[in-house]
Order: sequence, then structure tokens, then C-alpha cells
Amino acid sequence: MKTAMTRDWIATQRFLGQLLSGCLLLPVVAAASPTAPTIKLFPTTVLEEIKHTGNVAAEMETGLQAVIGQLDEQQKLYLDSKCEGNEGDPGCERIARQLGKSYLEMLNVMADRLPEMETAVNATSSSLEKRIRMELGQKKTSWTLQELLIGEESGSSVASSQPSLRGRSGMRLSDRFSQYYQLVARSGGKTNSSLAVIASDIYLDMQETSSLIARTREEISRATLMEQLNQSFGTITPEMQEVVAGVKAILFGEEQDVMPMAIPPAGPADSAYESALQM
Amino acid sequence: MKPSMKNKLGGLVSVAAMAASLAACSSHPTQATTCSLPEGPNLERALSAARFDLETGCEHEFDAYFQRLLTIAEGDPKKENKASFSDFLLWTNEAGLLSKRQARETYNRYFGVKYVSLISDYSVCQQTCPNQSAVMRDMSRELGDKEQGLLRVSADRLNYTRASNLYQETELVLQATCEACGPVE
Repeated sequence: MKTAMTRDWIATQRFLGQLLSGCLLLPVVAAASPTAPTIKLFPTTVLEEIKHTGNVAAEMETGLQAVIGQLDEQQKLYLDSKCEGNEGDPGCERIARQLGKSYLEMLNVMADRLPEMETAVNATSSSLEKRIRMELGQKKTSWTLQELLIGEESGSSVASSQPSLRGRSGMRLSDRFSQYYQLVARSGGKTNSSLAVIASDIYLDMQETSSLIARTREEISRATLMEQLNQSFGTITPEMQEVVAGVKAILFGEEQDVMPMAIPPAGPADSAYESALQM
Repeated sequence: MKPSMKNKLGGLVSVAAMAASLAACSSHPTQATTCSLPEGPNLERALSAARFDLETGCEHEFDAYFQRLLTIAEGDPKKENKASFSDFLLWTNEAGLLSKRQARETYNRYFGVKYVSLISDYSVCQQTCPNQSAVMRDMSRELGDKEQGLLRVSADRLNYTRASNLYQETELVLQATCEACGPVE
């Protein structure tokens, strides 16, 4: 059971990370839209879908915050009452059952909201997929795609205005969102090149979110059953405590580190030499 | 055939063969005795020596000569080295060692920000996605060449960083685009 709950928590944790990202992605798109890009990666329909997804995510986040607050208080009461190692005590058993009830409530909130979230994410993902396929996949060759990414100017002045990356592998979701946020905060106008990168990142995030939601939904029903069984014994498991602590960390941003941006080093403009062979 | 006639004929054949071989020698330009790669730290001198060798019979060793020149240039990295290599590659085209396209691609592979590995005529969905991993491998190798050309030879950190960022962005955008293009039919 420990393994199952831990697995459930991992899926839940990853999903919640994605959930928060949904909210933070909104300003990225909103800021990107007024630049009237020549490549149409973010038409109004896509923007609306992303906005809707963000709203659904925000609602879910709000619902979870309340129940997590409750869990926090109950856990504090459990610890203050010195119930650890004193599980046979009737008062402690009562607190543990209440804690378990709140945990079930958290799972229920997720189960209630997830289908709507899944629909919204899938719709956004599908719209973005079409735009990316058309604008980047069919209208561009790999050469013109790199020209788009590098920006129209060949001079180095563009380097400072380019969004810096942002690799996907091995990066925590919260760090990625922090990067998005900084990207928007420090750059007024968006170039086509950065829009292509942002669209790609959002699309891949949506794909990942979609698959996480599906897995989380599968896990929730099983976790709910397990907790219902726990209720009959009136104990709180270490896994439950872990889940609550983890959800708190994600929702309240207790561990939010600002990821340093890998910006190009400042250097003199490279205008000294341009070869006749330059492409 | 009589023995004396046979001897005479044999002699004639030998003379003719010798004459043909002498004629063949005189029709070739002066050949470098050996194709020895340039030595020493002076790039201009090494370029000059390489030019001489490459136009006197060592053209098949072009790659080795080019690598040696890069290694020599690494000993004194500076932005001016780009111009030296550009001039050298323009010369290789004039001397008929490389086509204009080959010269351009070689220069850009080492000293350009853009990736010659991404040269293509058809759409990303059609041409690049079916070979996505091979394309990324080629780009990765090219990034290594750019590290040598831009960073270690030309001390051009800014453009090397741009090339490196371009690699990462291309990887991300290609991943998303190829996912969006769907499975290869």
C-alpha cells in the first residue's frame, strides 16, 4: 500500500506542478499576442482555449488550497497532541480519521475537477498542434525554421533580445514556469522566434499534462479505496503526511527558487568581420 | 618469329615504355615530395605552406590540412583568424579544390552561427521529421566544430553562445513540430 500511495503522490505532485503552470502561462500568451506575428501560432481561438484552461486550473487550485489548509491544521493538532507513537489513544484515533477524511476530500476535489481540466488541456493541445503543424511543420524547411529562430537580423544586437533557453530535460516544472514568467517580465515585445519557442514549450507541456491527468485519474480511484480502508483503522500513514507536505510545497510555493536565466554573455558587437562565405 | 627479330621488337617496346613514362612525368606539375602537414605556431606561414602543398598534389589530404590549420590557429585565438580561414577557403574554390558550395559550407560549419546540417529543400514535416534524430546528431557534431572555430580559434564567445542557444531552441521546436506533424507514413 505504501508503494501505491507513493506512486499516487508522485503522479499527483507532477500534475499539480502542471496545474500551476497553466495559471502562470497565461500572462505569457497575453503578452505575446499584441505583436501581430507574421507566423500565426496564437490566433484568438488558441488564446481563448489557453485562458479557459488557466481558469479551470485556477479553480482547481483554489479548491485544493482550502482542503490543504484544513489538512495542515489537523496535522498540527495531531502532532501537538503528541499522537505519534500513541495511535491507540481514542482522541488520536479521532484526529487521524478526520485527517484521512480531509485527504479523501482532496482526492475528491481532484477527481471532480480533472475531467474538465482534461477536456480543456486536450482542446488547447489540439489547437496548438494544428497551428504548429501548419506554421512550422509545413510552411518551413529546417533551414528557414532556424532562420526564424535566430531572428531576422544576422548581427549580434539581436542576441540580447532573444529569449534564452530553457531546455526541457531534467528541469523542474516550477523552474520552467519561473523562466516563462521572467521571460515575459523582462521583455516587452515578442519576436516570431520567441513565439515559436514558447508555442513549442506550451504544446509539449500540454501533451505531458494530458498524459499526467489520465494517469492521475486512474490512480485517484485506487487511492480513494485505500484511504477508505485506512479510515476503518483510524491511522495516518507517513505517505499521507508526505502527500500533504508535498501538495503544500507546490501550492504555496514554499520551495520556489528562481531559476537563473542562461543569457548570452555580454560582449562587444561582432561587427568586425563578415566573410564573403557567410550564409 | 626469328629470335633476332624478337629481340629487336622487345627492345623497341622497352624504349617506347620508357619514353611514355618520361612524357607522363613531364606533363605533371611539380609534385611536392611528401604531403607533410604544416608545423609551427604561425598561422599565416602554415596557410602558405598548405596552399603550396594542396596545389602540388596533396589535394586528397585537404581535410587533414584543414584540421591542422585549425589546430595551429587554436594556439593564438583571435577574431582575425576568421578572415584568414575565409580567404583560405575562397582560395580553395579558386584553385578548384572545393566547389563554391563546399567552401561556403565548410566556412559556416566552423565559423557561422547557423547550422549547415539544417540545409534542406522540403518542409520540416516531410524532410526533417523522418530523420529527426539523425539531424540532431549532425547538429551536435556541428556544434562541436563551431566550438572549435568560433570559440577556440576565433575567440568569438558571443557567436558561439548564439550557436549553442540556437541548437537548444531548434531541438525544442523540432521536438514539438515533429510531434505535431504526426507519425511518419
